[in-house]
Amino acid sequence: MKFARVGAVIAVAAIVVSACSGSATPAPSAAAGASAAASAAAGGTEVKIGIELPLSGGEKPNGEPTLNGVKLALSQIQVPGFTVTLNIQDDAVNGVHDPQQGAKNIQTLANDAAVIGVVGPFNSSVAKAEIPISNAAGLVQCSPANTNISLTKPEFGALDLRKTKPDKIAYVRVATTDDIQGAAGADIAFSIIKAKKAFVIDDTETYGKALSDQFVATFTKLGGTVIDGASHGVPKSGQGDFTSLLSLAKAQSPDVVFFGGVTATGGGLLRKQMVTAGMGAIPFVGGDGISDGAASVKGSFLNLAGDQGGPNTYMTVAATHDIPNPEKFAADYKAMFGTDPGAYSGSGYACAQVILEALKNVGGDREKIRAYVTDSTHSYDTVLGKFSFDKNGDTTQRIISDYTFDPGTKDWKFVSQKDFGGA
Amino acid sequence: MRPRPGRALLVPAVLLLLATLDWTYIGTEQFVNALTIGAVYALIALGYTMVYGIIELINFAHGDIFMVGSFVTYWLLSSLGFNGTISDPPLLAVVLVGAFLVTMVLLGVVGVVIERFAYRPLRNAPRLAPLITAIGVSFILQNIIQIFFGPSPISAPQVIDVQARVSIGGIDISVVKLFVIAIAFILMIALQTFVSRTRMGRAMRSTAIDRDAAQLMGVDINTTIAVTFFIGSALAGAAGVVQVLYLGTTNFQLGFQAGLKAFTSAVLGGIGNITGAALGGFLIGFIEVNSTVAGLSRWSEAIVFGILVLVLVFRPTGLLGQQLGERA
Repeated sequence: MKFARVGAVIAVAAIVVSACSGSATPAPSAAAGASAAASAAAGGTEVKIGIELPLSGGEKPNGEPTLNGVKLALSQIQVPGFTVTLNIQDDAVNGVHDPQQGAKNIQTLANDAAVIGVVGPFNSSVAKAEIPISNAAGLVQCSPANTNISLTKPEFGALDLRKTKPDKIAYVRVATTDDIQGAAGADIAFSIIKAKKAFVIDDTETYGKALSDQFVATFTKLGGTVIDGASHGVPKSGQGDFTSLLSLAKAQSPDVVFFGGVTATGGGLLRKQMVTAGMGAIPFVGGDGISDGAASVKGSFLNLAGDQGGPNTYMTVAATHDIPNPEKFAADYKAMFGTDPGAYSGSGYACAQVILEALKNVGGDREKIRAYVTDSTHSYDTVLGKFSFDKNGDTTQRIISDYTFDPGTKDWKFVSQKDFGGA
Repeated sequence: MRPRPGRALLVPAVLLLLATLDWTYIGTEQFVNALTIGAVYALIALGYTMVYGIIELINFAHGDIFMVGSFVTYWLLSSLGFNGTISDPPLLAVVLVGAFLVTMVLLGVVGVVIERFAYRPLRNAPRLAPLITAIGVSFILQNIIQIFFGPSPISAPQVIDVQARVSIGGIDISVVKLFVIAIAFILMIALQTFVSRTRMGRAMRSTAIDRDAAQLMGVDINTTIAVTFFIGSALAGAAGVVQVLYLGTTNFQLGFQAGLKAFTSAVLGGIGNITGAALGGFLIGFIEVNSTVAGLSRWSEAIVFGILVLVLVFRPTGLLGQQLGERA
């Protein structure tokens, strides 16, 4: 199903690209840039930052705080000679983020000559549809939230997304990638749980298998032992019966069980059945595939695992929980919007900082800004901390946040975060 | 028809099958695991095989009957206010008997209704028509459950304490697994007795052998087929109760995979043959657990179906052959 969806997205993207490439390629960036640069000295040249986020329906809680982060940045950072405004596009007009709508939006933004860079999108599926278009248009996009590895890394098919100009990437992101989560899980198991012997299970799907393989590699490197030397794959079966695998695991008395997979492929059931198998006291670690809300959310990992999971359940999320100066940021945000910042407000702010930094250095030319932002030698001192983008557009700041199950609130509780940059 | 492999080929086929199994764990917890999961497959497989035996219909909606059974149990238990282990033995016994009775009767009725409105009008239609209808019924059942209970997996109350264990012959065995195995055997023995000893059982066997002749001999075909559906669906309902007790979870898509495995069990044992279906169910339970023990959990499904193909190559009618009537 996942493949089908990805396939559909690519197909749609391909159609959109082929349909629009005629008009997109000769984007009026050169002309606009020239005039912008010329009038920069005069002061107050109007340029726009495009916003491509889900802003309606159930997705509003994702998109709006992120947009507010950008607005906050614009109110606090002035670039001499330029007046920066927003061109806001919503990819959740039907209530759910929609790759097709995203593709349409990024095309609209590319056609607006005043847009020098885009903050967005929020969802990886939307990014997949948009990257080919922004790549062709040479319009830089900074995503505050995407974590899917295939968006940037050539070994996971990212070159298919930037076919038009493979050497001129136009997509960067301030969130780190999913593939670091396995390493983060191994770190939790080894450093926090102090486990020496791990039993690893995956759901045989792309995300889960990658996570488990990376866990095995990192845990072994740290000095731990992985039982049977590899991950045990369990295809999602109708029954969701892990009993016999857990009997096998129990006989070898692991210190920790790692699961690479998502709730839908058995995460919660696995944790529940560990209790049945008499392994309830053994810590359990998973990736953000099991991060789907409190125990009160029907069908969530914690709901299915039940209280039986106890406090020894951990998971990782590829996002920053604590930004360097959270108090000041939260106070400024609250003063402007009257609410606390959302999970990605800081990320939206940081993306805006990146684009404004480029604007300050190279002026309002779209292509120059793209080149500046994607140049891996430039580093940015942002609200998230200091980072640069690597040659694929991934942030060098690779922060993973760890959470654990809190039996009191019956929800996930933040434990710690760690920067895996350079790891 | 090409020459049929003789009975002699059955021996190498079974030997091959047994050789793939690792029997060293007999008497360990894995053995119990295999029996437990096998019991669930066997209970569902019985309904497949009975329906096939009597009207030669592969009832693809049967797996979904099992799924509905698990939801009925969930609904029953949670609407009565049970949301966890019941520690009071008499109350637990009452709840269990009640859950099985209500679910089985309800699902039996559902089975009869489906037969009456979806399959009976097509009884004399080409084979493909009821088959497609069965797939349609399967979707209808899934969608109804999805409308009432939502698409998310459900965490259902496990009224038997899953951590309770008894020691038998030196191995710790979880009580709920023993209970599941016991229930399966009781139901199978009851079914066998019903089919071989009662008037209605005889009517079912004769209808399976030759529907027209049975009718001429005064067997009420419609009632007989309805009873077959009732019993088959009730057994699937019982498997649904077992699912909730044992794994404490269900979702609206549960029926597809379980139905496929159960159908495979029925074919492996010889579709139409009640003993064969039970045998096939347990065999698949063992093959699955074996794959896991051998470190091949990733391939367990391929192994199950690979063995099915091998058995069918050597013995197209399954291990115990077809014919509900002759062998039941």
